[in-house]
Amino acid sequence: MNPELVPVHREESIREDGMLFVRTDGILETMVKAPLILAGLIIVAVVMPLQTSFSSTRTLELVIYSDGSTHVSTQIDVDPLEPDFELDLFGKSIDNFVAVGDAGFLLSEEIIEDKAIIDTFGSSSIIIDYDIHDLVSKEGRVWTFSFDSPSDYTVLMPKNSVIVGISGLPNNMEIVDEQTKLNLTTGLSEINYIFGTPINPTISDESPFNYVNAAVIVGAIIAAVIGGILMLKRKQQKSLPSIIQTESISEKQIETKSIDTETIFNFRPEMREDDKEIVKFISNNGGQALESELRKKFLQPRTTMWRAVKRLERLGVIEIAKKDLQNLVKLKKDLEEEK
Amino acid sequence: MKKITSFVLLILISSMILGGMTNTVQAQTDPSILLKIVKHAQKQLENQINQDSSDKTKQLFKDGAQQIKALEESLRNNEIDLAKQHFLSAMRIFKEVSQQLSINQSSQVEMATLKATVEDPSADLLRMQNYVDNLKTIAKKYNTSVDFSELDDLFVTAKKQIIDRQFDDALQTISKIKQITVNFNNEIREYASQQEQSRAKEYAQKYLEQLDRLIENAKNKGLSTDIIQKLETAREDLSSATNPHEIIKQIREIISIKEQFELTKNDRLESRVMQIEKILFKLSNSDKLSQTDLEDAKKTLQTIKRHLSQGEFETANELLRSLATLLEQFRD
Repeated sequence: MNPELVPVHREESIREDGMLFVRTDGILETMVKAPLILAGLIIVAVVMPLQTSFSSTRTLELVIYSDGSTHVSTQIDVDPLEPDFELDLFGKSIDNFVAVGDAGFLLSEEIIEDKAIIDTFGSSSIIIDYDIHDLVSKEGRVWTFSFDSPSDYTVLMPKNSVIVGISGLPNNMEIVDEQTKLNLTTGLSEINYIFGTPINPTISDESPFNYVNAAVIVGAIIAAVIGGILMLKRKQQKSLPSIIQTESISEKQIETKSIDTETIFNFRPEMREDDKEIVKFISNNGGQALESELRKKFLQPRTTMWRAVKRLERLGVIEIAKKDLQNLVKLKKDLEEEK
Repeated sequence: MKKITSFVLLILISSMILGGMTNTVQAQTDPSILLKIVKHAQKQLENQINQDSSDKTKQLFKDGAQQIKALEESLRNNEIDLAKQHFLSAMRIFKEVSQQLSINQSSQVEMATLKATVEDPSADLLRMQNYVDNLKTIAKKYNTSVDFSELDDLFVTAKKQIIDRQFDDALQTISKIKQITVNFNNEIREYASQQEQSRAKEYAQKYLEQLDRLIENAKNKGLSTDIIQKLETAREDLSSATNPHEIIKQIREIISIKEQFELTKNDRLESRVMQIEKILFKLSNSDKLSQTDLEDAKKTLQTIKRHLSQGEFETANELLRSLATLLEQFRD
């Protein structure tokens, strides 16, 4: 680390002519390395990411209910050497508090005003869930969500709510189960919203349902035309037995259906039990489900569910498609070899 | 050693710079989102403005619409900063329009859930459902005998009552759900507390190992026998503690001694090692890290521990930082 050049074997190096010789084979290396290390240390000190420090919030997700109460769900990295962790709650009106440590163990806690002391006992990461009644206020018919966040976060707005005011710029927005989900940044944010009356959607490029409706209408017209032609033909060729038609319809229905879960499990005996539950849920849900729905159903963090979905994709059981910027998980119609 | 240090630092710097760049990219707002939000608000308010609305409100709404046009224009010209300004202005105006429209209603600010009389208890039911789902997961984890079937039935009943708009009945059902949930919560916590004791002991054991290293280093550095004596006494007290609360109390005392004699310098390193160990354990159960990388990371961790036990904190710190940065990429 010390960039100073030190003459090596000084006594030996001083010859009769009085010249001072220094060892030069390490000069270049030392000259290049020293500033590099110094610069490196400075950059490290400046840009050391927050997530690598202790007690940093990894995820923070808020869900606003229709009565203004808010569900807070957060994952926090904590110091595993500390026996407990003091958490700053976002208010004093707290309900349904649950803290879970590594490996899903329930942690004891004591809530004093807007602080919770959680006995972590060596956990390095904790997941906390609670409901809070302090973040949303109401004036007339305008509801105001006001939140000073310690980290970037997401907020899921109530169903049928319309944002009519916002103090900052969201990073992202997506629609989850007809609810608006915003990604917001650290600091104070204020969102004003009202509960809207149903309106005819006119922003055609925004809603996937327009496409669906259009497809249904066009499909119905085509079906009616084909049906008409078929009826005319049938009248002309009365000899065709009706049972054939019934069979062909049921075959089509079977084709569009995905494989039943038992067949999948028989083909993939190595599938994990928890993954089987996911497959069953997707199957019962009409053969497809959003990844966010799966997370909600199985109460799994984003990464855990992502891994599970990826596992199933590798097994060739499901395929992942995009819908409204979300992952739509579909059961495959036929099983394929493991990738 | 210097070569290793330089190499590690180079990796560290480049990964951090790259990481920083990624974050910046992610933090940028997609301008099309702004247009979606603002148009949705405009459509909703347009629907609510009628002949009875004041001229001021109507004028404000027109101003908002102008801002949207300007926003669209900015987006077409790819003037993102200007677009953001128009978005914020439009939203500020629409907020005012909403307030004007509701001026005839109660103007008194109230904490929404404390005072508002919400007839429909859907939100209350949803809150309870989420809480109970959480408890179910925990109950499963502890293999408890708690039977949730009665609660499940009550949830179905309450949902039906809400659909049928029998809100009073629904409130009674939710009240029953809450009562049962309180009992279940206590029952599950009873199970959890039984296992908490063993977790607390396991944690105390790890802390004792760390304390042993600290005492050893203190002796090597020639610290006063008084300090070492205090640490050794605290060690004895901790090793004899069995109750979780007693363990916390003893550890707090040890922390206090360490702070008193400025011996906390290496706690952070020890904590970080423990945290990295846990991250590695989690990653070993996933497919995010290859077997070779995993083995390399484990070897590095062993090297770090060796440096720590030998009192080579700077080297341990540098290696630890690079390993942490590397593993961060594979986490969430």
